[in-house]
Amino acid sequence: MSYIELRNISYKYPLSKANVLKNISYSFEKGNLYGIIGSNNSGKTTLCNLIKGLIPEFYEGELYGEVLIEGKDVRKWDSNILATSIGYIFQNPFSQISGIKETVFEEIALGLENLGIKEDEIIDRVIDVIKLLNITDLAKKNPNELSGGQRQRVAFASIVAMNNDILVIDEPTSQLDPQGTIEIFDIINKLKQQGKTIFLVEHKIDLIAEYADEVLVIDEGELKHWGKTNEILANKDLLNRGINLPQVALLSHEMENINEPFDQFAITKAEAKKQIAKRWG
Amino acid sequence: MDAEFINSYRNPQLSGNWFLDLNPLSKMNIIIILAFIPVFYPSWQVSIGATLFYILLAVTSGRFKNFISPFLKLGLVIGPFFFILRAIFWPGDTTIFNFGIINITQEGVDLGIRYGTIMLVVTAVLVLLSVTIKAQSLTYALEKIGVPHTASFIILSSLQTIIDLKNKANVIMDSQKSRGIETEGNVFTRVRAFIPVLTPLFLGAISEAEEKSIAMDARAFGSDNSHSHLKFLRSVPVWEKLLVVIINLAVISLIIWRFVG
Repeated sequence: MSYIELRNISYKYPLSKANVLKNISYSFEKGNLYGIIGSNNSGKTTLCNLIKGLIPEFYEGELYGEVLIEGKDVRKWDSNILATSIGYIFQNPFSQISGIKETVFEEIALGLENLGIKEDEIIDRVIDVIKLLNITDLAKKNPNELSGGQRQRVAFASIVAMNNDILVIDEPTSQLDPQGTIEIFDIINKLKQQGKTIFLVEHKIDLIAEYADEVLVIDEGELKHWGKTNEILANKDLLNRGINLPQVALLSHEMENINEPFDQFAITKAEAKKQIAKRWG
Repeated sequence: MDAEFINSYRNPQLSGNWFLDLNPLSKMNIIIILAFIPVFYPSWQVSIGATLFYILLAVTSGRFKNFISPFLKLGLVIGPFFFILRAIFWPGDTTIFNFGIINITQEGVDLGIRYGTIMLVVTAVLVLLSVTIKAQSLTYALEKIGVPHTASFIILSSLQTIIDLKNKANVIMDSQKSRGIETEGNVFTRVRAFIPVLTPLFLGAISEAEEKSIAMDARAFGSDNSHSHLKFLRSVPVWEKLLVVIINLAVISLIIWRFVG
């Protein structure tokens, strides 16, 4: 049995004329990191809302097909259980700050307070998350006075603290500088190593190449490509769909064009280094 | 991480000031019930006395600096406004000054002074409540007496929303200004510039409210578990309970005395 399964999913938002998702079926396994890519308005965020259970609980609309979590239809799950087992981090960091806490430390603790966790355990968990995300310098600050990038880290920390089994992460680095982006991806990788199942929407395709186990390509609401990351991100058809290929994949294609292909098609820097070392090292 | 900062969450939130450390509900009770004295003993002397008492409380609680500026700004507008309103338009027999429809009488002036000074008391109460009670402590205290967590969230969130809306309005005004739209000048220019701001401001707020509810859902806001509190207040000591009871009884006695004495 798949951990999460989408069966012939089509979905239309209330008052919308066209389906935003069209006949999508896919099985997701526990502990994998799934990269979800596509051009703007392709339906990526809607897919996230579906996996998180916000559709049809929050966004009513017309949903056809089934979303099964551990074999049970998402509509039959208790919404509180879904809320505590699936974490969701979305693009806009400004609306993810509660606005009711005086320090970042308290902001991160909010979800744990809602779960009724004992105060001492809250403190320990918040300290761990603050160290993990390397935001010790923010702990005492007022979350309402942070920059976009800082808020994004705090929003991320707040969800990591919840220790959900499944994480749906929609463009977590949209407000971060390159260094902050790398740090967030390191943490996502650590969470994956802890056995979390992660759905990650991200335009930074080189990082998807680096970290995702499988990739789903959505275009105009349809699932166009899916499968192992190194197979999908080598496909030139993505360029026609407004999606860049990883820099290393472009290099691999160029090598093919000059009749000097790598022994194995590379999509990450590490793979390319290995191939280059093999040939010229 | 700073051990002192972490330990502040392991102990009740105390400032070391006897008045500030009162339970927010005790503070509210004391501040509000004392305001009934000038209402039931309406004279400018009692109202001024009550206002001075609130100023004294602000000094004692170490919040005088936070108190005095908004008190003066509000009090010096609201107090004289009510005085003028009553003094000019209240009918009476003893005319002091007459010009057209304006007929200032001794009775109107007396009533104006009474209303004006009562409004000073009301202003002092509101400002003192706002500078001595933290919203987060108040909602904690309310939750402890059974107010639902959702209600306390709405209170706190609404307070922050006011600040957020103000900041967003400034951002929109700045972007209007950068497009060459006149946003400064006389009242009419400012009003004309502000009206177009309202649509993006409130549409944005509605959209953000939707996102915020999703964010709160992801933080288990709707969890059925009883919530815990990282920051907590001390249990209300017996002396504090006695103080509140004594003050309440004293004020109620004064009110009863007013009618039967």
